Amino acid sequence: MSHLKLLKIPLTGFFLCLLFTSCFKDVDFSQASDIKLTPDLEADILVYQLNLNDFIDSQTGAYTPVIRDTVRLEFLDDDYVQEGLMYAAFRFRHKNSFSQPILSKIKFLSNSNQTQFSVNYEIPAGTKATPGIVDTLYVVEGADIVKVRRSIQMVLELEMIGGGKDIGGELDFLSKGLFKFEF
Amino acid sequence: MRKTILILLAFASLLCHSQNRPLLYNVDDLPQSLLQNPGARIDFTKHIGVPFFSQIHLFAGSTGVTAYDIFNDKNPNVNQRVARVMNSITSGDYFSVNEQLEVLSFGWKLGQRGYLSAGIYQELDVFAYFPKDPAILAFEGNADYIDDNFKFSDANFTGEVLTVYHVGYNYKVDRKLTLGARFKLYSGIFNASSTNNEGVFRTESTPNGPNFYRHYVEGLNVVVNTSGYASLKEEQGMTVDQAVTELLSRSFFGQNVGVGVDLGFNYKLTDQFSVNGSIQDFGLMFHQKDVENYHYFGSYETDGLEPLFPELDNDEKTIPYWDVFEEELDANLTEQTLNDPYNTWRPLKYNAGFEFGTGMSILPCDYLISRRPRFMNLFGMIFSGVNRPKGPTYGVTAYWDRKINNKLRFRLAYAIDEFSLTKIGLMISKRFNNFNIYMAANDIIGYTNLAKANSASLQFGMQFIFKNYSSRTKNINQAKR
Repeated sequence: MSHLKLLKIPLTGFFLCLLFTSCFKDVDFSQASDIKLTPDLEADILVYQLNLNDFIDSQTGAYTPVIRDTVRLEFLDDDYVQEGLMYAAFRFRHKNSFSQPILSKIKFLSNSNQTQFSVNYEIPAGTKATPGIVDTLYVVEGADIVKVRRSIQMVLELEMIGGGKDIGGELDFLSKGLFKFEF
Repeated sequence: MRKTILILLAFASLLCHSQNRPLLYNVDDLPQSLLQNPGARIDFTKHIGVPFFSQIHLFAGSTGVTAYDIFNDKNPNVNQRVARVMNSITSGDYFSVNEQLEVLSFGWKLGQRGYLSAGIYQELDVFAYFPKDPAILAFEGNADYIDDNFKFSDANFTGEVLTVYHVGYNYKVDRKLTLGARFKLYSGIFNASSTNNEGVFRTESTPNGPNFYRHYVEGLNVVVNTSGYASLKEEQGMTVDQAVTELLSRSFFGQNVGVGVDLGFNYKLTDQFSVNGSIQDFGLMFHQKDVENYHYFGSYETDGLEPLFPELDNDEKTIPYWDVFEEELDANLTEQTLNDPYNTWRPLKYNAGFEFGTGMSILPCDYLISRRPRFMNLFGMIFSGVNRPKGPTYGVTAYWDRKINNKLRFRLAYAIDEFSLTKIGLMISKRFNNFNIYMAANDIIGYTNLAKANSASLQFGMQFIFKNYSSRTKNINQAKR
């Protein structure tokens, strides 16, 4: 008992010292402001499958070698893109089984229809068994990323080179984007 | 030799765990032991706590990460460390904060065998599992996780603030058995919970599909229930201070109520050996007022937008593909805000233990039986747990409880739980006549540097405790002197 009595003061003192001197050591909480969210998002963008009917005027039945469409990509105007997008890699893949080559023009426009960047290429002719394939990667990074941030419309234009109503085949289009953010 | 054992115990065995308070469990001269086990043996005849100071309990812990893991000042690349933690932490890891403030506490001996105790305490309890999949999606994105599911069930949390009014009765059935029960009336101040969520988000590669990927949201069913939040939200321009003031004003007259019980026992198998057990907060909260529920549900999949190359006149606008996409999304993934009442279980706590006494001494104790042997050393073990949304959390504590004299007592404990394998705890209780002050801290090693600790808890309190022994006991003590 007496031994323990001797211990009571140091024990209590040790306990209280420990509690009142406890602290956070070896850490720097100011690093919290350096924490970044850096998600890399893969997302499909557009997809289509066209055949000869898409190149024929439904009213007149005339062959129209040039067709176009515009898709608004509203997500490009969202805050997280405007503030955090650092890198974009667009992948476009065309598979052509028409017997004619096709010229593809893909343009990204601002809200005021100013072209920010475009990707143009010719899709070689092919057959069902051996379609003409073009796989394109278009990377936008660094200072150029503002071109993506300014864009909100994606304009697609296809021009069949030569050919007429008697051609047959299909044109498949796949597209996706890899978007790297930093918040 | 005794010193050696003491030192070994001190360094080899000190910690305890979260909401359960093993350092106060079965401490027979502290009224707080009745809150842990209403059937605990006690050796006082009356107590009254110092209002707001009879028990202050604070606990915070995280199972998967410490502050040092993230903010280590020796490595400046904080993002690298965040990434490392994100990889190592699991959706079973959790963060927990618990606070209890005893507002009132009092009790007195009732009859020859009973002890009535009552009081009011305020409690805050927050428990959140680490939302691994949503966090990975936010921090890393889906690019490296093609074909993997991001599970919405990883979002799982509960949080509540409430005031508890309680009254308990401790009854000594005979020399061996003590039983106890406590009735609780809960007054809810604030509650938010989201458990049992379902659904996944997945980006699947589709080599034979129309596009590179197909994005799925499958079986989304996420519910967030709140009570006491909607009225705060409606207060325009309310500052944090004003919100806290508003919450505090509800402390005694909360809008939602609940009921619960604590049950416990202590049984002496022999004079030296006893077993004990208790459950706490077996109860329900009924949230009926100021309720707001947020429900997100549905399924959707997409391969991307599909332009149709329509034939347009010069000034004709094309199809609003994005608007159509958003309409489809809204139709298939629905968000609803409701005001449906809901019920929540209080987190049930349970304790089971045994205790072995050595060093017999005759001290004035056991108010019902004036000449009971008293053991100066108590060695015990407690198995304790708390029910949580994904299953119980457990801990095991071994302790040495030493009564140095009738006025000073300490308990040294070693615990293993989900926070730490080296948890050392210390409790000291001191009496100055009828005034008692106690302090208990778990994870003493962690207190040397809280940044490296997975958890820390502290209990502190002061009260008046009266031991009006029978005249027979007094005579015995006088005879001894």
